[in-house]
Amino acid sequence: MAPTQWPGSSRLRRVRRLWPWFALVGALLLVRVSKGAGFADAYALLTRPFWPGPAQRDWIESAADLEDRAKLKLLNEDNRRLRGLLGLQQAGEDQGRVAAAVISRTPRGWWQQLELGKGALHGISAGDSVLGPGGLLGRVQSVTPATSRVKLLTAPGSEIGVWLRGSRRHGLLVGLGTSRLQLRFIEKDPKVRPGDLVSTSPASTLLPANVPVGVIQSVNERAVPAPYAVVQLIASPESIDWVQVIIN
Amino acid sequence: MTLATPAWFGIDGVGPAWAVLWLLPWALVDGPVSGAIGGLALGLVLDGLTVGGASQVPALLLLGWWWGRLGRRAPPIQRSFNLGLLAWIGSVSVGCSLIVQLLIDRGFVLDPWMRSWGWHTVWSQALITALLAPMLVSLQLLLWRRRSPS
Repeated sequence: MAPTQWPGSSRLRRVRRLWPWFALVGALLLVRVSKGAGFADAYALLTRPFWPGPAQRDWIESAADLEDRAKLKLLNEDNRRLRGLLGLQQAGEDQGRVAAAVISRTPRGWWQQLELGKGALHGISAGDSVLGPGGLLGRVQSVTPATSRVKLLTAPGSEIGVWLRGSRRHGLLVGLGTSRLQLRFIEKDPKVRPGDLVSTSPASTLLPANVPVGVIQSVNERAVPAPYAVVQLIASPESIDWVQVIIN
Repeated sequence: MTLATPAWFGIDGVGPAWAVLWLLPWALVDGPVSGAIGGLALGLVLDGLTVGGASQVPALLLLGWWWGRLGRRAPPIQRSFNLGLLAWIGSVSVGCSLIVQLLIDRGFVLDPWMRSWGWHTVWSQALITALLAPMLVSLQLLLWRRRSPS
């Protein structure tokens, strides 16, 4: 093979052959300098569905604390305002409660339900209310001797009447499949604000009275035909292992 | 499996369509009549295990029949992509049939929230079902083919 006539051109060829490697080293240097920003972001994006949530104990403790405070407020107010309706209040206190383990849960998807480890043998029947730490979760839809199936408030088609303590108005809490619920009002001006507590009605006969349900997150006053609010449940079905069933 | 699926097993909390994953290999091996009967049986059991409102029976029945015909008429379907694609189509079909039932139930007017929840559930479930299909359906195909050598 004849020696190259132009030493400069052979150096150029060598550089050309090596440039992908230089580019790779340059890219890796960029990764190093940026502390792996691209990789970390890609990893975060890919693993986002698997990120752990807050510890269940923290959730339950904070939810139970909120429930206690909300209940205290509601009961104090009730005592003052509804002293005359002692019979109704007494009925609420007399109701029995059964603690049941959650043996299966489907908080998302087509059917949003819980399966409880106690059923008709323990006195549970269809229509009973189910409470988690924080407030109302749903109602028992069907029972077998040893299990009960609970339709969550978030399930499509779930509708309950609720009471807004702040504005002293009623509303209809509707489940639409999403994790947040829609609170529909009859009045054009519902006079509610984000942060207001939503609870069951003090005079409710189908549901236990004065049980906290959720907190208003936002209000859409321009909605047609009537304004609505977005409600976040206090009790989280995703993280509950035990519930209380209020036996009617 | 429907009851035992943990909340974290899925995409954004939405688990796979287990019925599709069990029905597909059965129908491919056993033919349209068995497939339709299998779809009907699975649909009825699943309807019994859920809070109701919409039924999976029509979609599973039709899917069982269709997959059974495919299994009889086409060369054996066993490649991962094909199984994933069939499972994806099955899951989307089941989801669309549920949305149609919701629409009929609500007088053909679906709240925008419910509409977006419905489509989100359809696509999430279809994706996780299609991803699981090559592994689970292949294993079941082997099992059913060994049991029915014809």
